[in-house]
Amino acid sequence: MRTTSPLRGRGFTALRTVAAGAAAALLATACMDGGGSSASDRVEIRWFVGMGAGSDAPTIPAQEAVVEEFNAGQDEIELVLEVVDADQAPNILSTQIATGDAPDIVGPMGIRGRSTFPGAWLDLTPYIEKNDYDLTDFDPALVDFYRIEEEGQIGLPFAVFPSFMYVNLDLFDEAGLAYPPQEYGAPYVDAEGNERPWDIATMTDLAKRLTVDAEGDDANSPDFDPGEIVQFGFGNVFADIRAQSTLFGAGTLVDDAGNAQIPPHWAEAQQWYYDGMWEEHFIPNGPYGDSDMLNAGSWFESGNLAMGNTHLWYATCCMAGFEGSWDTAAVPSYNGETTAKLHADTFSITKDTEHPDEAFTVLTHLLGDAAEELTTTYGGMPARISLQDGYFDRVGAANFEGQDINWDTAVEGMSYVDNPSHEGGMPNFLEAEAVLSEYATRFAQEEGLDIPAELEALRADLQAVFDAA
Amino acid sequence: MTTEAKPTDAAVRRRRRNLLLSGCTTLGAILLAAIFLMPLGYGAATALKDKDGVSDPNAAILPVTSLTFEYEGEELDVYAVPMPDGEVRELALVQPGREASVFVDPEDPGAGTVEWEGRWRALDPVTGVDPQWGNFEEAWNTIDFMRLMGWTLMYALTTMLFTVVSSAVVAYGFARFRFPGRNLLFGLLMATILLPPAVTLVPKYAVFLQMGWVGTYLPLIVPQLFANAFNVFLLRQYFLTIPRELEEAARIDGAGPIRTFVRVIVPQAFPALTAVSLFHFFYAWNDFFEPLLYLAGNRDIVPIGVGLSYFSGVYNSEPHLILAAALLALALPVAIFLVAQRVFVRGIVVTGVDK
Amino acid sequence: MSDFTDAALAVRRRDKRSGRPVSSMARREARWGYAFISPWIIGFVLFWAVPIGASLVFSALDFQLTDPGATSFAGGDNWQRALSDPDTWTSLAATFRFTVLFLPLSLVVALGLALLLNSKHLKFTGLFRLLFFMPSMIPLVAGVLIWQQVLNPQTGWVNRLIGLTGVDATGSDGIRWFDNPVLVLFAFSFIGLWGVGNAMIVNLAGLQGIPTELYEAAEIDGAGWWRRLRTVTLPLLSPIVFYNLVIGSVLVLQYFVVPWVLFGASGRPGGASKFLLVHFYQEAFVFGNMGYGAALAWLIFIVVAVLTGLLFGTARYWVHYGTER
Repeated sequence: MRTTSPLRGRGFTALRTVAAGAAAALLATACMDGGGSSASDRVEIRWFVGMGAGSDAPTIPAQEAVVEEFNAGQDEIELVLEVVDADQAPNILSTQIATGDAPDIVGPMGIRGRSTFPGAWLDLTPYIEKNDYDLTDFDPALVDFYRIEEEGQIGLPFAVFPSFMYVNLDLFDEAGLAYPPQEYGAPYVDAEGNERPWDIATMTDLAKRLTVDAEGDDANSPDFDPGEIVQFGFGNVFADIRAQSTLFGAGTLVDDAGNAQIPPHWAEAQQWYYDGMWEEHFIPNGPYGDSDMLNAGSWFESGNLAMGNTHLWYATCCMAGFEGSWDTAAVPSYNGETTAKLHADTFSITKDTEHPDEAFTVLTHLLGDAAEELTTTYGGMPARISLQDGYFDRVGAANFEGQDINWDTAVEGMSYVDNPSHEGGMPNFLEAEAVLSEYATRFAQEEGLDIPAELEALRADLQAVFDAA
Repeated sequence: MTTEAKPTDAAVRRRRRNLLLSGCTTLGAILLAAIFLMPLGYGAATALKDKDGVSDPNAAILPVTSLTFEYEGEELDVYAVPMPDGEVRELALVQPGREASVFVDPEDPGAGTVEWEGRWRALDPVTGVDPQWGNFEEAWNTIDFMRLMGWTLMYALTTMLFTVVSSAVVAYGFARFRFPGRNLLFGLLMATILLPPAVTLVPKYAVFLQMGWVGTYLPLIVPQLFANAFNVFLLRQYFLTIPRELEEAARIDGAGPIRTFVRVIVPQAFPALTAVSLFHFFYAWNDFFEPLLYLAGNRDIVPIGVGLSYFSGVYNSEPHLILAAALLALALPVAIFLVAQRVFVRGIVVTGVDK
Repeated sequence: MSDFTDAALAVRRRDKRSGRPVSSMARREARWGYAFISPWIIGFVLFWAVPIGASLVFSALDFQLTDPGATSFAGGDNWQRALSDPDTWTSLAATFRFTVLFLPLSLVVALGLALLLNSKHLKFTGLFRLLFFMPSMIPLVAGVLIWQQVLNPQTGWVNRLIGLTGVDATGSDGIRWFDNPVLVLFAFSFIGLWGVGNAMIVNLAGLQGIPTELYEAAEIDGAGWWRRLRTVTLPLLSPIVFYNLVIGSVLVLQYFVVPWVLFGASGRPGGASKFLLVHFYQEAFVFGNMGYGAALAWLIFIVVAVLTGLLFGTARYWVHYGTER
């Protein structure tokens, strides 16, 4: 009997390497453990970032600078920054909360973030009173935005993101069309000088002329080929069903009695969007919208969308790849009413924090001295009225150097915000959201749906979810 | 004479047959690989495109870009324009219009612009293959690859050594020894695979929190010292294929179980041990969620999977840069595989018994 | 089977009948056995016992992740709900549909590729091994993003290639891989087959272990390729194929990342992507209902365990271990 293996030698060498490596690694991990804990008398306050802006690489250094500055400025509190990828942030946060390891401050975070963790936030009212915290520098409506019935004042306003129309000027030039108005209430004046009200009908007409196939036929042409579209007229960028429908006016899916409802103007909006995608083809449908041609969702940035309705944050998050010239325009009206939906970000303190007083101190710092730096970093407009002057100059200079963009449109849109908010709460919020997104995917992906019937089914599904709350 | 010629004939025929077989097999493999790797080709081509090329709906499959011409401070695309006199000229598009556009001749910009009747979208752009190698440079510069790779290598190599050694030892125990409760314990081992890992996530985090290990690599590394069920199962299966005569011979020579394991089993199982090492290495290399969970408060030491996630947001709408970064991150694993795969060479392992 | 002598075996058999303590030889063997598996036992006690026990306890609680303070005892409510939830049954059906399609496909492809890469007729084997394994090195999420674009109905390469044959595959009436409950299973299968590298390498490692003399002997007997495969390769590779079968079934029954990245919890199209683990993940983490989630997870565990148990039960009929005589 003979056991032969040319690998035998190698086996031994490998084992020796393994043993040495294991010893070294053990030592290394022991060192890392030791190095991690630094003794300090300061109260540690953990600031969790990822539920909104702030988890992208370029924003991290600025936040680190804010933390460093804060820690250097006093010796009571040690502020620690935790940045988590936005997709995973809800999982990480829920794991931490469930194991009693909740961070102290979470933000920036939209109203949606707070709805994702109902009951997890501290009512700030006693701390505002105790510290005599001055709220006069905020729009009272915005402060109320974060006053939730059963939970109290769960946040304070930090940044606002008004919405407006992003207009690709090159595509308008190519079609020989005049630009949409930048002032609310102003009419649309076409190339011949004719005036028309700046409403959904006018916008639809423009959008169809700005939707073009590979041969250069627009959506009005009998030769138009909906299978070969290379440029779309209009789209609501990164918007869910409630956000889309708000173009036709603010509304809510919950009636006064807590039952599910589809507001009639939202039903009209849904029909208009659906026809726009599947019959008239001037709005990207699911397959087009997911494709590289429209930047897999970041439609306006691709340069292949003429008019995109979205928020101020789009200008800082997503316009890096845009080539050409663009400007703002007013949101068109519907039935004589204009609605420019609003997003607003906040910082909240978790209910389980062991140091609410210290956390409140940090919170006021973030909303106060650090607010100017942070709002520029995140791209939001400061909620603090005294900081709003000069904000757009800074954003414009940082992101769109040498371009003359009319930011007044964005500011003016703040007079037409949606109330109730399109991100407002619903009973059994997360499951209601799941029902909505199920409807939304069918809406965007399937041709030939009967929208009134779909909406009735949606209402019934929502009702069931509300009832289970 | 004839008896001598015959074998030669057969040898020639066999050689020819082998040559033909080699050709066909290799050709088939090339075809198969081409289909299999087509999506990777898409990824590579996209990584080499410029942004326009990615979102151009009529884009060519290869990273071609339009020829451009700079005119009055603007980059203009060049098209092949059929002129009314039948000549086709290469002109740069100054002002696109639906039914008529304005062009300029790049050869002679001083001559002013040319008005052309027709649809510019129907024109063919003048293109050349122009891979954007700069995408890789941009990805490299934006991401601190060296630091990320350092931590990732530390994490991947340490846990690889730990898990391979401990899993091999445990697998040998399950494969070759008889003891009361063996089947029950093996069932328990398998159960750790069968229970969806997400359900133990929260209590596991609580355990490591109690130990004070959150924020360090310890929750990611130490458990690997105690064998991993997937690896144990694979190695056990492999050990069971090794003929027992080899061990008996060693035992008769006076070797104890440890010596037998090291001298007989480990060399015999080298391909399987390499496979397990590779799997674990790539798993750790791409590991994302757990490092993020345990290292969230310690950004300076995260591995590459987490590091890339901080950048995916920036590149959200720039698939060419995401893919360039992903391909860069692939370079080291590919090199490691190329070195390690030499183990899987047909016939190098002389197993079995002389008979 | 033990690798110790038949004498020891005989002693043990006798002792089993009498119920007496086993011989010193067997005891020594058992001690060594425990010693070898002790790292795993220690690790299990340290890192697994508590979490597994805790998750079982969760399944009897009304435990909301975001509000752990409000946890209360729920008895069998979660289990009852798990069994009466229509989503449980539809996701079970969706999971089985995909398993039936993908599991055999992946086993055959992994085996076929390994045989190809082990073929003495293949040139440049090192390069081919790398090429076929390469997709397995790409992070799964990045791979899914690539496939999403490759299978895009408008601009994807697959539909464009099909278009070259004259079939009009693009457009909303074209081949929409992600919008048809049957086609999407093929899309999942393509993505899954892309990651077949691991199973392929396992097979390759197994093929290395087959003594070359056996092939030579078979060849001398005049056995053709097919007969050598059936009489030498497959029986000797069966423990490895068994590993791939068990692990493959566990992974496909716990299929999660790809459908989640592509469709979230929507189940689109037509419920085809709502697999068991997608259902669990939505309840436990998206809705934060860990009590109900834990009950679902243990239900999934039972399903997978029963199937795996069946596979182990069949092993004696077709898996040949070198240690058996």
